[in-house]
Amino acid sequence: MSDRMVRIVQILTDSFLPLLKAGIQFTVPLTILSFFFGVAIAFVVAIVKILEIKPFAVIARFYVWIIRGTPLLVQLFIIFYGLPSAGITLGALTSAVIGFSLSVGAYGSEIIRGAIRSISEGQWEAAHALGMSKVQTLRHVILPQAIRVAIPPLSNSFISLVKDTSLAAAITVTEMFQVAQQITARTYEPLWLYTEAAVIYLIFCSGLAVLQSRMELRFGRHLAK
Amino acid sequence: MKKRIILVTAIITILALVLSGCSTSNQAAANQTENDTKPKNLLEEVKANGKIRFGTEGTYAPFTFHDETGKLTGFDVEIAEEIAKRLGIKAEFIETKWDGIFAGLDAKRFDAIANEVAIREDRLEKYDFSTSYIVSKAVLIVNEENNDIKAFEDLKGKKSGQSLTSNLADIARSFEAEIVQVDGFNQSIDLLVSKRIDATINDSLSFLDFKKQRPDTPVKIVDQMDTKDQIGIMFNKGNNELVDAVNKALDEMRADGTYLKISEKWFGEDVSK
Repeated sequence: MSDRMVRIVQILTDSFLPLLKAGIQFTVPLTILSFFFGVAIAFVVAIVKILEIKPFAVIARFYVWIIRGTPLLVQLFIIFYGLPSAGITLGALTSAVIGFSLSVGAYGSEIIRGAIRSISEGQWEAAHALGMSKVQTLRHVILPQAIRVAIPPLSNSFISLVKDTSLAAAITVTEMFQVAQQITARTYEPLWLYTEAAVIYLIFCSGLAVLQSRMELRFGRHLAK
Repeated sequence: MKKRIILVTAIITILALVLSGCSTSNQAAANQTENDTKPKNLLEEVKANGKIRFGTEGTYAPFTFHDETGKLTGFDVEIAEEIAKRLGIKAEFIETKWDGIFAGLDAKRFDAIANEVAIREDRLEKYDFSTSYIVSKAVLIVNEENNDIKAFEDLKGKKSGQSLTSNLADIARSFEAEIVQVDGFNQSIDLLVSKRIDATINDSLSFLDFKKQRPDTPVKIVDQMDTKDQIGIMFNKGNNELVDAVNKALDEMRADGTYLKISEKWFGEDVSK
């Protein structure tokens, strides 16, 4: 092996643990928290829109319009650097979780709305004929089926969120990719370190993909095959 | 339709009330603390907190970077630490990207920036600087096989990799180079090696550190600027007490040889001139 290869192997082995640590310390909790709050927001927004609960439906539309129409990085900047001038100073991690949750919430609400809409109109009518209220129908008839439809696209959002968290570096969160850049600054081996970071992202996302197929099995268990 | 308009107006009013409610309560809280402890300037504030917060990149060797053990270090970091020590407080470093660093100072996420910021006319309009603690010499770097570019004047119409808001990008613009936006020094070098840019203007000390780490990289210096950039610690305007105290600390460091010691540790020479 040439000297350069020896050096690179050395750098890669030395940096693996710090990268993994940053991933476990920041990337994973950031993703899980944001996804949890994001899906909660998404559900509320979707249901408000489906049931046309005024005036919340207007607010929901406005929210989705703003979040989908502006870049995530700009949203993070406004939350972290802009809000302090309005007297609201949030920590870096809090700002990141809020920014990512709002983003997941806006995109996710459309996924869930679509999933609910995909259940045939006849089921609403049948439930109504049985004397069920709209809320009861949603809770007991529509949602159990809609969730199954929503899982693949929601998993997509989850997995892309894992990688979006690298944007948090712009608001001072030392997440995994930022650590890769720190090591690059000392060793000047950007390509190798970024690839190593990519491999760790891949490991995280593979775990999530397994989780996705398990969930699909679970929510599809009542389905006639 | 009318109903909807009334509803929307109601919502906006409620939102406005909630928001103004928040801000007045914040205001009240702020007044409260002010009354408790007397109005403070930033110098008194950092002394009361026992720490001064510096914004820095943490990815720009040898000025601000992480060593093998992961500890933040570098020339700028040590200078900032020494300043804090002389103010009788601790230095806290908040790491952020270069492109977010001015926004962070504006939002008072930190009290000052220690990150090789050049003292420039346009920056002085909005910010204050300490006296210069290092001078930066811009050099023109090209691929070793490139024999077309021999001086800054040859940059006209050529692609130069620069971070957009840095003073180095302005130098490239002044020679009518086409700017290719990069995130930092490392990306520029990568693009040079793969010949996707023709040149980059960067700091000579940064380049020397890089050559020490990667002597085999096929890049070379072909020209250097006659003028040197003065680099200072950057502050928001209106904090004269803190700026004066930092300047005093820097003067003391120069007088008692501490500055020279730090300078020689990182560069083997005095980098203040």
